[in-house]
Amino acid sequence: MSSESKKRGIFGLSYDGEDRVFGALKAVSTAIIVVIGVFPIYWMTQVSFTDYQTVIDTVTVVPTPGIFTLDNYVILLDPAIVRYLFNTTVVAIGTIITVVVVSLVAGYGLSRLSFPQKENFARVLLMGYLFSPIVIGVPLYQIWRSIGLLKTRIGLILALSAISMPFAVWLMWKYIQTIPEAMEESAWVDGASRWRSFRDIVVPQCRPAIIAAALFAFAIAWNDFTFAEILLPTEETTTFAPGILRTINQRQFLPDAQIMAVSLAMTLPPLLFAYFMQSYLLKGFQIRAL
Amino acid sequence: MAGETQEPTGPGRVHIPWQQLPISRETLVGIGTVIPVLVLYFLIALLPIAFAIYASLHEVGTMNPEWTWIGIENYYRVMELSDFWSSLWRGIIYMVGSTLFQLAVGLWMALVLNRITRGQKLLTAVVFTAYLIPTIIVSLVALRMLDPAGGVLQALGGNVLGLWDVKAAPLGARDWAMKLLILIGSWKFAVFITIFTLAQLRAIPSRFYEAAKVVGANRYQMFRDITLPRIMGVILVAVLLRSIFMFNKFDIIWQLTQGGPGDATTTLPILAYRTVYNQFAYGLANALAVVMFLFLAVGAVLYFLAFNPSEEVETTT
Repeated sequence: MSSESKKRGIFGLSYDGEDRVFGALKAVSTAIIVVIGVFPIYWMTQVSFTDYQTVIDTVTVVPTPGIFTLDNYVILLDPAIVRYLFNTTVVAIGTIITVVVVSLVAGYGLSRLSFPQKENFARVLLMGYLFSPIVIGVPLYQIWRSIGLLKTRIGLILALSAISMPFAVWLMWKYIQTIPEAMEESAWVDGASRWRSFRDIVVPQCRPAIIAAALFAFAIAWNDFTFAEILLPTEETTTFAPGILRTINQRQFLPDAQIMAVSLAMTLPPLLFAYFMQSYLLKGFQIRAL
Repeated sequence: MAGETQEPTGPGRVHIPWQQLPISRETLVGIGTVIPVLVLYFLIALLPIAFAIYASLHEVGTMNPEWTWIGIENYYRVMELSDFWSSLWRGIIYMVGSTLFQLAVGLWMALVLNRITRGQKLLTAVVFTAYLIPTIIVSLVALRMLDPAGGVLQALGGNVLGLWDVKAAPLGARDWAMKLLILIGSWKFAVFITIFTLAQLRAIPSRFYEAAKVVGANRYQMFRDITLPRIMGVILVAVLLRSIFMFNKFDIIWQLTQGGPGDATTTLPILAYRTVYNQFAYGLANALAVVMFLFLAVGAVLYFLAFNPSEEVETTT
């Protein structure tokens, strides 16, 4: 193409020149994204391996042998921190299970059974995106208090499941539509019930959608601060995000290097999920599960 | 459809006279499948909003069980609150600034990630991680890096670039707090736009671009005529959602500045939270929540105008 390419590219460049310019722009952009994306994670990691006194005295880039230490990780044995991490894990698992079960059943019903008002249901479903934790949290505080769900992890799981619903149900709805109904029909001919065909045919085929829905539920539960701050005011049941903030404000001595150590521990699960399960994440969004 | 198939009735089953009931079994089961979702929505959305409206009409202390009916008095108080209008204005600045910045950065990242050939998986993972990292971690790392005691960004901005005082944390400076909040938040939330756009970009068949190349289109023309029309819809939705989310953002602001210094970063969510826990005016806080909900409702109307859900459901792939 090069010999005959006329100067019709952007800025009057030839097509080859245009390719070169774009190649360079792409390389520069990639470098910027990598530096800005990786830098905070790198900095958190290196600080967590550096002597805590050095961290607040000077800016060090690499934990060299003299200042390298694993002592900061003692914070992972601190009873309060252990409790926060345990509560966060319980809430995340509870939310994932609730979201997957509820959205699978609803998705199946929406795509396979005919009942009225489906379109309005879709509208109501999308309303879920408007449940802002701060707007909902203030009144929910009193409601949970009067029915005894305040200070309980179940109360938080319910709240987080509700805000995960729009994405999860929409995803299942569209995904189950892609599974041929004929497979279920042949099972019914052999005498299987609708529940049997749902359990043995539809659910196993929904694996990618289940993983995507679980990942998003995990992200919401792992990330939550506002709901937990309002709905779990006591030490015993609170999760990591509000817990660590209260600990920092209350304790006389909590070195930043230790905070970075526990932060890294909280970052590892999402980091591993982002690397090993990114195809599921993208698949989830591709269905345009808005 | 499924209704034509015979449901097997085992010997031990209770006989239900489906034929005589006013609605078919399928309809009943179908409604049954969505009931858990509706129950959750009722508990977490409808009930709190109704409760907020009810509580906003009363004088209620946060710790006080006494409710006194005062009608719409709380709404007058909200409007007369000098903090209300300034918080609303700051919230709008925060929302517009964040959304525009996130749109520009997010779109740029999506276009780069889509075209990259080597290390795509790793780079995508890096970008996705930013979105999956809990907000509290983003805040803690930002606070460390902006700490006057050994913070790297503090030193970079203070000593090298001379942007702010070397001795003080820039998040405590009036002229930097809001800008930094927008920048720090965007590190995480720009990826939301990237993920949405990237999924759409990957769905564009490459034969479109090959055909355009054959007829001699340049890159700008390809972007304008192939890429942009395909991602326009999703960008619109993502921007609307981001605006709504940023307007109601509480966590990252509370973690980084608690609304300070002074009231430089106090937006409506922060004001509502303070009204509950610092002024113990629970009724007034609920009035604020209702006002914020009305803003959300306007967002919702725009959202449905931009994106028709029933249209989406019909398109079976």
